[in-house]
Amino acid sequence: MDSKATLGSIQKAVWDGKLPLQITLAPAESRTYDETDPYLISYPRVSYLPSLLPKLRAFFSASLIDPTTSPHEGWFSFEGVPLKWHYPVGLLYDLYAGADPASKGGTDTDLASASDDDPLPWCLTIHFSDWPDEELVRLDADGMVMHDAFINSVKEADFLRNGNAKGIMTLSKEDSSGLWEAVRDVNLPSFQRISNILLPPPSQPFRNVPIRLFLPLPPDSGAPSLKVVQSPIPPSILPSTASATSIAASQSILSAARGPQTQTIGSALHTLLPHLFPSRRTPVLAKPVLHGAAVPMGRPLRRS
Amino acid sequence: MASSPSNQQTLSGFPLLTAEEFDAACCAFLDRVHVVGDAAVGWSSIQVHQRATGSILRISRYIGLDSSSHPDGPWQGSRMDQESQWEALEDDPEALIRTPVPVACLQVLYDVLLSPTYQVPVLYFQLREDNQPAPLEIDTVYQYLVPDQYKKELRNVGIMGGISFGYHPDSGTPAFFVHPCQTTDAMRRIAEQQCVTPEAYLIIWLGLVGNRLGLQLPKELFTTESMPKFQGAM
Repeated sequence: MDSKATLGSIQKAVWDGKLPLQITLAPAESRTYDETDPYLISYPRVSYLPSLLPKLRAFFSASLIDPTTSPHEGWFSFEGVPLKWHYPVGLLYDLYAGADPASKGGTDTDLASASDDDPLPWCLTIHFSDWPDEELVRLDADGMVMHDAFINSVKEADFLRNGNAKGIMTLSKEDSSGLWEAVRDVNLPSFQRISNILLPPPSQPFRNVPIRLFLPLPPDSGAPSLKVVQSPIPPSILPSTASATSIAASQSILSAARGPQTQTIGSALHTLLPHLFPSRRTPVLAKPVLHGAAVPMGRPLRRS
Repeated sequence: MASSPSNQQTLSGFPLLTAEEFDAACCAFLDRVHVVGDAAVGWSSIQVHQRATGSILRISRYIGLDSSSHPDGPWQGSRMDQESQWEALEDDPEALIRTPVPVACLQVLYDVLLSPTYQVPVLYFQLREDNQPAPLEIDTVYQYLVPDQYKKELRNVGIMGGISFGYHPDSGTPAFFVHPCQTTDAMRRIAEQQCVTPEAYLIIWLGLVGNRLGLQLPKELFTTESMPKFQGAM
């Protein structure tokens, strides 16, 4: 399979993905309560909500009861749940909006979702006061907190792939800031140039595949509204761990014959969440969603 | 010296820690503090919490806001009813926040967890003033927690210094943390090729990371009889 062209086109499609947002000023902060016109925008799924704050602060400035607030004091909520700004908006939508993921041959669900409870545009509320300190990390005026959170995530991925974070640590200061600016400004060519410096060549196997699972939790669970699951997952599974009950002699023969198996989405999910994903091949109780689309369980983890 | 067998073993993959080793280290360290006496260490509480995701070593202390509480000064904090603080903390961390505190002081809650990615301990901490719900800002951390000799070094690394804002992996609430990406290198430099026990690893790590954030280990913890075997000079 000509993976290069395919991967490139998939990445472009992901970066081109947009989500219609309808953002309303919190009635308690508005001079006209709930009569304020909403702000509408088609926003990239890979973008972060705080990038909208300067525009939103300007748009709502005439309506604000308290005109002294700054853009970086702005925070978003969906149905009363404060949204963690360090997750891309597409991920937040997939977690909270309760929309069915796009899937091949999924016309039935598409029709169903269009007829009754269409989640689009995604309706969010913007607040400029009463920061929810128990739930959200505060932003700063210079955007350093966001930049830092992003780089920490990149470092973690780098560490999982290589066993150290030297790639990101030795990146020039210009490229390091450039990587964040490329994501912030949704500049794919610039992002690709810098991320190619970080990624090991395709011939070199990853030590672990960076994967983080977000589980939406029911609102009445009493806990935070989502759960994050993460553990180092190697790109292939050694046969010895796959057949633990075999006796030593036959196991070594089998191992030699079979060789390591490729880690699939299904096998990784089964390892991380065995109760939610009892099968490695079929989604039984839950289905994995990536960039708004259901992903097949049998796909190799690294290439997908 | 009473130590559990697991604590006597040396680490399987220094400078990395497994979940079992981290748990053994936390429990051994808790025992050590209890032997010396909670009052002697000047912390208002130390506990080990077992969670599905692993153990959490939780240390809480108060810092009086008077002039004697300079970061380089004595770290006794205010001594008011530590017994009741201890009890309030026992099951419900939130109870601590509601407990009235008679003098102006800062409360620091340190949580040490094992990072599943980096496989080293990570220090998360929250800083609150009296019973104020809002956590304090990073400048307060530098002012009251970071000793002078480390201020420059901590401020000058990374995007915004060695202290990041993030979410506590267990509670999901905002917290400061010290990014662990350099921990393995630092541990290797300090304890090169040594066969350290899990507890010795944790103590070295606390000296390395905790020390920079006002979590100094009192010397009472290191009387000759209770000193863990480092098998080599530190």
